[in-house]
Amino acid sequence: MATIYPVSETNVPSVHLEAELFVLLAAMPPEQLEAVLSHLAAAFPTESLLVASPDAFRPDSTPPLRMVTVPATNVSWTLNAADFVTAYQLAEKHKARAVLMLGAESSSLGSSALSDLAQAVMNPTTDLAVPSYQLPANAALVNSAILYPLTRGLFGSRARFPLAVDLGLSLRMSERLATAAHRFTAANQGDALLWPVNEATVAGFAINQFDVGTRNLPQPAGPDLNTILPMVVGSLFSDIDAKAAFWQRPRPLPPLRDPVPRSQAALLDGATDVAPMIQAFQLAYTNLYEIWSLVLPPNSLLGLKRLSVLDAAAFRMPDSLWARIVFDFLLAYRLRTINRGHLLGAMIPLYLAWVASHLNITASGTEPERHIEAVAAAFDADKSYLFSRWRWPDRFNP
Amino acid sequence: MKKLASATDPLWYKDAIIYELHVRAFADSNADGIGDFPGLLSRLDYLQDLGVTCIWLLPFFPSPQRDDGYDISNYVDVNPSYGTLNDFKQFLLAAHQRNMQVMIELVINHTSDQHPWFKAARLAPPGSPAREMYVWSSTNQLYQDARIIFTDTEISNWKWDETAKAYYWHRFFSHQPDLNFDNPAVIEEVLKAMRFWLDMGVDALRMDAIPYLAERDGTSCENLPETHAVVKTLRATIDAEYANRLILAEANQWPADVRPYFGDGDECHMAFHFPLMPRIYMALRQEDRLPITDIMAQTPAIPANCQWGLFLRNHDELTLEMVTDDERDYMYIAYSADPRMRVNVGIRRRLAPLVDNNRRRIELLNSLLLSFPGTPILYYGDEIGMGDNIYLGDRNGVRTPMQWNSDRNAGFSKCDPARLYLPLVMDPIYGYQAINVEAQVSDQSSLLHWTRNMIALRKLFQVFGRGTLSFLNPANRKILAYLRDLDRGDGTHETVLCVANLSRFAQPVALDMADRAGAEPVEMLGYVPFPTVTEAPYVLTLAPYSFLWLELQPSHAKPAS
Repeated sequence: MATIYPVSETNVPSVHLEAELFVLLAAMPPEQLEAVLSHLAAAFPTESLLVASPDAFRPDSTPPLRMVTVPATNVSWTLNAADFVTAYQLAEKHKARAVLMLGAESSSLGSSALSDLAQAVMNPTTDLAVPSYQLPANAALVNSAILYPLTRGLFGSRARFPLAVDLGLSLRMSERLATAAHRFTAANQGDALLWPVNEATVAGFAINQFDVGTRNLPQPAGPDLNTILPMVVGSLFSDIDAKAAFWQRPRPLPPLRDPVPRSQAALLDGATDVAPMIQAFQLAYTNLYEIWSLVLPPNSLLGLKRLSVLDAAAFRMPDSLWARIVFDFLLAYRLRTINRGHLLGAMIPLYLAWVASHLNITASGTEPERHIEAVAAAFDADKSYLFSRWRWPDRFNP
Repeated sequence: MKKLASATDPLWYKDAIIYELHVRAFADSNADGIGDFPGLLSRLDYLQDLGVTCIWLLPFFPSPQRDDGYDISNYVDVNPSYGTLNDFKQFLLAAHQRNMQVMIELVINHTSDQHPWFKAARLAPPGSPAREMYVWSSTNQLYQDARIIFTDTEISNWKWDETAKAYYWHRFFSHQPDLNFDNPAVIEEVLKAMRFWLDMGVDALRMDAIPYLAERDGTSCENLPETHAVVKTLRATIDAEYANRLILAEANQWPADVRPYFGDGDECHMAFHFPLMPRIYMALRQEDRLPITDIMAQTPAIPANCQWGLFLRNHDELTLEMVTDDERDYMYIAYSADPRMRVNVGIRRRLAPLVDNNRRRIELLNSLLLSFPGTPILYYGDEIGMGDNIYLGDRNGVRTPMQWNSDRNAGFSKCDPARLYLPLVMDPIYGYQAINVEAQVSDQSSLLHWTRNMIALRKLFQVFGRGTLSFLNPANRKILAYLRDLDRGDGTHETVLCVANLSRFAQPVALDMADRAGAEPVEMLGYVPFPTVTEAPYVLTLAPYSFLWLELQPSHAKPAS
């Protein structure tokens, strides 16, 4: 997406560049760009919008929107620090009241979704509007297994996609994220990830979530779990570490939302063979046990031992065991018990075990979203375990 | 070019964990037996892991080293034994990269007699600008009401100079002539030195011996209005030219006399609380909270932007200047059985030996340090329970090399052991083979791990650095109980109840907490819920030398049992 490089402005009516809503788009193919612009034009009065995109506009084929171009960044599958800096700089420059950031492949979002996200933050009662996507059952499982339950448990937010690629931001939310992002961009780490839900919660800003329906999620260029999981989870762990003084205060969760049932199309994702995942876990149980034993307490190791002898059909990881595994890896990350890269690498087979278990559970008739809520509830229920381990990280524990 | 502040919060010092060290004593990179900046830089990760957020460096300037660097002969350079200015800059950058601030010494009461200013002053005619950099007199009868500080070595605050044919004034050693702050040129030179380091990015200045800057006949020559005027000038310069910097006052005075050094928030940001420290030791030995509650009752309120600096031990003797004669006698008897343990008006021992190396006593004292209102200052080596060497002269017994491991020279230096600037502690209890960082890092139950955990815990609660203090007064005086409370400004409070057993035996206590009825105490180290506070006395039992930190949460926030 965009960077903080100087802006070249094109296709701009000569009147003025002030806008109610500033929209920052990710790089996307021309046909997708046209679709997004059409959706925007349908959702908002065009005079209230200013749209920035790294792609060249075709004046003949795009709706009559005021537009500026910005250079693209390297990361295309999610928002990054440089995007947040750019968004705020341009929004402030053009005196926008709110910001709408739309990630790659946002053409799959309808006009009403865009309207929901933007209208919310045009209203002073909301600072951060986050989408809840309808995704295929097996999609975004790192989010379901780790990002969502951890963010919900520690920051008391029910935002289902903490790393959403589309966001509505009030101007002050945009400013806060830009400030947080500046720490990374100043260190030449413009592609670092940010955690808007966490930032908003710490700032005491209001968050609203909107069901935006189905969306094609952009995929990383090399969708390699060994790269993506350490990057995303490591970033979240770092953010949690930095905000420990905040989340260590107990906070009630906002009222429960009924999980949106998946559409039939979303559920018909085809059966996935869990055997390779279980084999990867079983192999790791032998090879990585020594590392796991530095991180996990005896009870968790015992749970893994039981798990390691289950056959594929019976393979079920208790939600409470998974919650404690994630908590203990988070703690080991904070303490640098071992090299952080190796640590997060050692978490991957455990994640695969959770995925296998999740797929088995959903294959046996449990609605995926219900199981994910149950996992998140396990994180909530065992939060005091993390608190006590964080505060007194003695290895001599149950 | 002037560098921006490394801290973003102007009140960063309120939440800081300060670690005091001598470059000479920390780590030697070039095997000459003397610690240096490259060595210190190589150990920054250790300090970061410990949780330190501000490093206080003892003087590292060119000096004849007759007072461990407090006799400065050049304010704007680095002593070649410790490296170069460039080495210092690299260290400063590396510290900032680890989110650590750096505090250095501004020793402006006096210079070394080897400073070029003094060499010139001796030769300059009386009344000339060069001569007037220092305080001269034809008689040694002026300022007779000023006490002598280094009673073990000095018999007068005046010293005859044969070259100048006049007496010069010195409040400390006779080789440390006092600068003349009645001379505006002196203030200008001090400002130049100050700007030199602040421009470089240094975050904080510890102003050494601050009460003694000005002299007036017929007074004690301490805490004079003219001294405060100098401090205000320095502070105004800092406020006008720099952001988020700090001045820490070393004023070994009674709390009421230290209070003016905060001014109206326009003199020093911080000042040491000297009288508290010996009274903590006294309370521990007497198993009675009275010495602590008494001195805190005498401690006046300070401006909102100011902070006390708290410490258990430092590079000097455990000073007994701010106690009564009876209290001093008690402290000498209780804590310095061997006369060699005494120096000047104090006791030259480290924390661990002072409490007979009792782990629970060390932990109890640290719990007070970390929970009392102020910013805790740790002295290097105390986090592993290093010992001292009372057979070394002056205060060198508490300034021995840092004990990193059990290898040659304790991992401090690769030099021939005979070259070390001071010998290592080598006795069987505190010697480096037994007490060292490496061993304690690998021992999960070590004092080092305990200290690291406690620092991390304190950092989670802003109330410790910024909250108010109120004592509870249970009938059992062996129990010290107090509430720390911080108004978060959003209608909520962060409140912590601290209870400490000063006794070597288990003690019961019943606390009157009726005005907190309904609160849900949660033990902070283990996040353990305790019974709800009611109108009835809140009863606790504490193990010997144990302490409890209980966060008082509103009832809805209680964690699951």
